[in-house]
Amino acid sequence: MRKIEKLVPVCVAIASLMVAVPAMAAPTGTLVIADSETPENLDPANATNSTVDELLIGDYDTLVQFTAGETTVSPRLAKSWEVSADGLTYTFHLRDDVLFHDGTKFTADDVKFTFDRLVAAKGNVLNDTGPYDSAEVVDPTTVKLHLKSSFGPFLSAMSRIYIVNKKLVEPHMSEDNARTWLAVNEAGSGPYIVTSYKPTEAVDLKAFDKYWGGWSGKHVAEVVFRYITEPSTALSLLKSGEVQMAPKINAEDKVALQKDPAYTIDVGKAATPMFFDFNTQSKGLTGNKLFRQMLSMTFDRQLHLDQVLLGFGSIPDGPLPADWPGHVGGTESKFDLDAAKKLVDDNGWKGTTLTVRYLPAIAEEQQAVEQLQSNLAQIGITLKAEGMTFPAQAATLQKLETTSDINVIYSFPTFPDPHAILNTDYNSAFDGFKGGYNWANYANPAVDTLLNDAASSSDQAKRVDLYQQAQKLIGADYPAITASLPGFVVAMSSKVVGYKYNVAHHQTYNYMDIGLK
Amino acid sequence: MRYVIERLLFSVLSLAVLLVLTFLLTHLSAADPAVVAAGPNAGAEKIAQLRAEMGLDKPLIVQFLIYCSEILRGDLGISWFTRQPIAQDLLQELPPSIELVVVAMLINLAISLPLGLLTARYANTRFDDAVRLLVLVGAGLPIFWLAILLQQFVGGQLQWLPIAGRLGFDNRDFAGPTGFALLDSLLAGRLDVFADALAHLVLPAFSLTLLFTAVGVRITRTAMISEFRKDYVVLARAKGAKNGRIMFRHVFPNGATPSLTVFGMQFGWMLGATVLVEEIFGRPGIGRYAVKAVTQSDIHAVVGVVLTVGVVFLLANLLADIALYLISPLKHRSPSTP
Amino acid sequence: MRRLLSYPRSTIEWSAVVVACLIVLMALFGRWFAPFDALQIDFRNKLKAPSFVHLLGTDETGRDVLSRLLFGAQLTLSSTLTVLVIVVLIGCTIGLFSALIGGAIDNLLMRLADIWLGFPPLILALGFASALGASLEAAILALVLSWWPNYARLTRMVASDILARKFIASADALGVPLTRKIFAYLIPNAFDVMIVQVSLDVSAVMLAISGLSFIGVGAQIPAPEWGAMIADGRSYVSKAWWIVSAPGLMIFLTAVSFNIIGDMLRRELDPTLRRDRREGPAGA
Repeated sequence: MRKIEKLVPVCVAIASLMVAVPAMAAPTGTLVIADSETPENLDPANATNSTVDELLIGDYDTLVQFTAGETTVSPRLAKSWEVSADGLTYTFHLRDDVLFHDGTKFTADDVKFTFDRLVAAKGNVLNDTGPYDSAEVVDPTTVKLHLKSSFGPFLSAMSRIYIVNKKLVEPHMSEDNARTWLAVNEAGSGPYIVTSYKPTEAVDLKAFDKYWGGWSGKHVAEVVFRYITEPSTALSLLKSGEVQMAPKINAEDKVALQKDPAYTIDVGKAATPMFFDFNTQSKGLTGNKLFRQMLSMTFDRQLHLDQVLLGFGSIPDGPLPADWPGHVGGTESKFDLDAAKKLVDDNGWKGTTLTVRYLPAIAEEQQAVEQLQSNLAQIGITLKAEGMTFPAQAATLQKLETTSDINVIYSFPTFPDPHAILNTDYNSAFDGFKGGYNWANYANPAVDTLLNDAASSSDQAKRVDLYQQAQKLIGADYPAITASLPGFVVAMSSKVVGYKYNVAHHQTYNYMDIGLK
Repeated sequence: MRYVIERLLFSVLSLAVLLVLTFLLTHLSAADPAVVAAGPNAGAEKIAQLRAEMGLDKPLIVQFLIYCSEILRGDLGISWFTRQPIAQDLLQELPPSIELVVVAMLINLAISLPLGLLTARYANTRFDDAVRLLVLVGAGLPIFWLAILLQQFVGGQLQWLPIAGRLGFDNRDFAGPTGFALLDSLLAGRLDVFADALAHLVLPAFSLTLLFTAVGVRITRTAMISEFRKDYVVLARAKGAKNGRIMFRHVFPNGATPSLTVFGMQFGWMLGATVLVEEIFGRPGIGRYAVKAVTQSDIHAVVGVVLTVGVVFLLANLLADIALYLISPLKHRSPSTP
Repeated sequence: MRRLLSYPRSTIEWSAVVVACLIVLMALFGRWFAPFDALQIDFRNKLKAPSFVHLLGTDETGRDVLSRLLFGAQLTLSSTLTVLVIVVLIGCTIGLFSALIGGAIDNLLMRLADIWLGFPPLILALGFASALGASLEAAILALVLSWWPNYARLTRMVASDILARKFIASADALGVPLTRKIFAYLIPNAFDVMIVQVSLDVSAVMLAISGLSFIGVGAQIPAPEWGAMIADGRSYVSKAWWIVSAPGLMIFLTAVSFNIIGDMLRRELDPTLRRDRREGPAGA
């Protein structure tokens, strides 16, 4: 495995040499994207938040990155890398031709500073780097990252660590570890520079002419993110030509635009399943495995895909996307309202009232909850829906008494690895009481062991096997319904060329590769 | 003078009550911003550390006292999400909202005062009845419904006015010292930007103001009518003064003053209602900022917004009251009132 | 009753009364006339234009808009009524108390009411929503807290006016107890003013409630509150305009008809205006 990892970057290096001196086409045109959620801040420490990530992805560089459309990392600031035999040391060989936006040369010091700063600031991106320990500069183009224990997905996690310019950021370390400064300033080396940051209105990015990757191919000179909350407003703007990409218009409008040759509808293969999590530790009925099994048969995924997602997505078969390594099918019940009704009648569950909590701001959640309400009503169970904001819902999950019977939650894996979904959602270390997203409060020691072993191993075949075992065990306990696997649908003008969905950076747009016809 | 001081004191008292109320509410809320701020997969330890950093683990009273002492120093705290001082955030977000409300109020006054005066003068005529009907209709239109309809028809289908935003695409980089697009563009001598900003303000301001204008016409009319019945008007008429002269020199200024109080309150109401219009028209402002703060349970930011709106509201009322007080003693000095 | 029937003077006023009565009837009995269940979703029927089966079309989950409208009448109007009843109770009690006790406390209460009057309910409601979680109850609470000063001031004004009159002095001399004074004199005389204010406030409160539901801090799904219906349907306004128009029109009609009624009542019941009319324009 390690040999191949060494070989790939070498091959890529040779290939790029062969295509050397490409045509330097100067970027032209402005791309305007209408997004609905305003960004929190510009700090790379918060890059786990998609509103931040969508801005930073073109402003900063990482050591390695998932190119849009791929599920393995390729070199960026790091040309090549090795992993020690015990999996505790990652050595990265860095490029020496990279300049930051202010002209400073990129060196290994910047990498070490980035990591040290993230540790000091308790950056959220470090939540996914597992047992990361420290960084060590060997020479200006070599840096070593040390781990406390082996961590299989470590390289994938590097795709969210945006390297900052030490020279610009270090002077601000006294202000809350540079959080105040980096929240509204940029310090990157990427192809675009944030030139104007007005979080409730718009963010402007302009092309960086000295970008180390060069400007071959078609690119835009300027990118504008406009924040429009109303889908109907975004649609009007798309139709009038004021914006070229409108990902957040509603599904019906996207279907209508599909027929219009002036617009393109791209359906990205997202890996963001939506779950109905059942409170497995409840003292009420959802604590009963048979009751949960009954519940697991009451959601019509096909209807949801056809009517709510309008076909933009796929039927989930378990918590993992079917094409991911480690996936095993058939672990969840199929929709069978009659069988569920029989269980209800046989066990005297008729007349039960359950509560589901969800985010009304997300249309898909609302419509899924409404379908569940309707289905359960048909078999004699009343489902009360309580809309909340995310922090309010998270707070209710911290105590067993305040946790509702069902909670709706999505999984937003930060990189395409089963660990990112299964560990986050089914490891008892991340249950609701501990502030995690395992909102079913699923606590199965056997599953925990499997998940932890898979995380610390680098043997891909072994990991696949462990994850498959875990899924089978999870399925047998019916802790949740994987209700849908929506696609990420973007409506754009046909003038937009080069857009591709990136599964490792959900809800972002690869504007650095986009050009306008 | 004593009156002014008294009003000021009560304003401060009111603000204090408001502060306690909002603080208690947002802190008693069960929402946990620490979980959101910590990011996914944070782990219980990190969340607990963050909670301690945010000061959420201290007893409520301590948190409140800390917050009060900060407020007195003018420090509204740091937003846990934007990581900027909230006072700074609000300073940035307030101008666009105020600009919207000012334009809306100007439209309101420009319609209410003359129309109120005219319908009072020609009370109980067909004209008065027609205006009365229009007013009752206008007062029944939900702001957000009107905004959606106007946006779709005037902006979308007829394309007479812009659909959304504060400035057009060509002027997107324009920034000025005050944050008020209209003012900044005039200061910079950019009449094209001024026209652009104005065009973008028409639909939002109109949606916002219609309801309040309807009420404004009624209030003004009532005030004017009671003015007309006053003895000095009878006297002036008996002396042979022309109606127009009576209207403009006496009735109008005297009658306008009671309505001042209401207009002052309306300024505050409108500021509170900007959220409806800002969301629909995609404009920046404190409305949007408030909604985002509520969604994230950014407690200090929510309290900051409520306080700021409260202050603006109280200031507007105070100014209206002072203006009223300054003008009415003059009225009292004239020999016309009993 | 005959006197009430004499109030409406024009066709418009008659129409307003009729419309308002219809809407109240709709709130009380509408649910039994609804052709469909207001909450029954049917995705295969979503976003259908008005037809003979669905007179007002269907919304984005296939629910019949007309049925939701009928059910929503009860929700919207009852929450409006709740706010007004609580506000009248609280406001009048405070106002009455203030008038009876007089002096510094009276001054203090009224000044507070003056300043508190109409603090933007939307902002307060946002604050409440982040505290108590978004719900119709939180919205009602926010509105009650914003609206009570109006009635407190009004009651106090009327009460102190009445208390200053001569017949109260005679009642005092006769030893009439306080409670009888309140119920026999103060309340009946204040009633007219209250009724006018309440009918004018119906539209204002209703608009506020639907505004709050619209931004998401009022009624929650699947509740067919009219403002929430507009919020649900707002992203479909260009294609399925009926989802937004029907509830919007209902809010509009209700608000306007109550406005007209309130205006009519004010003309008929307000003693100052009546006096003026009888005395003639010159005040002779």
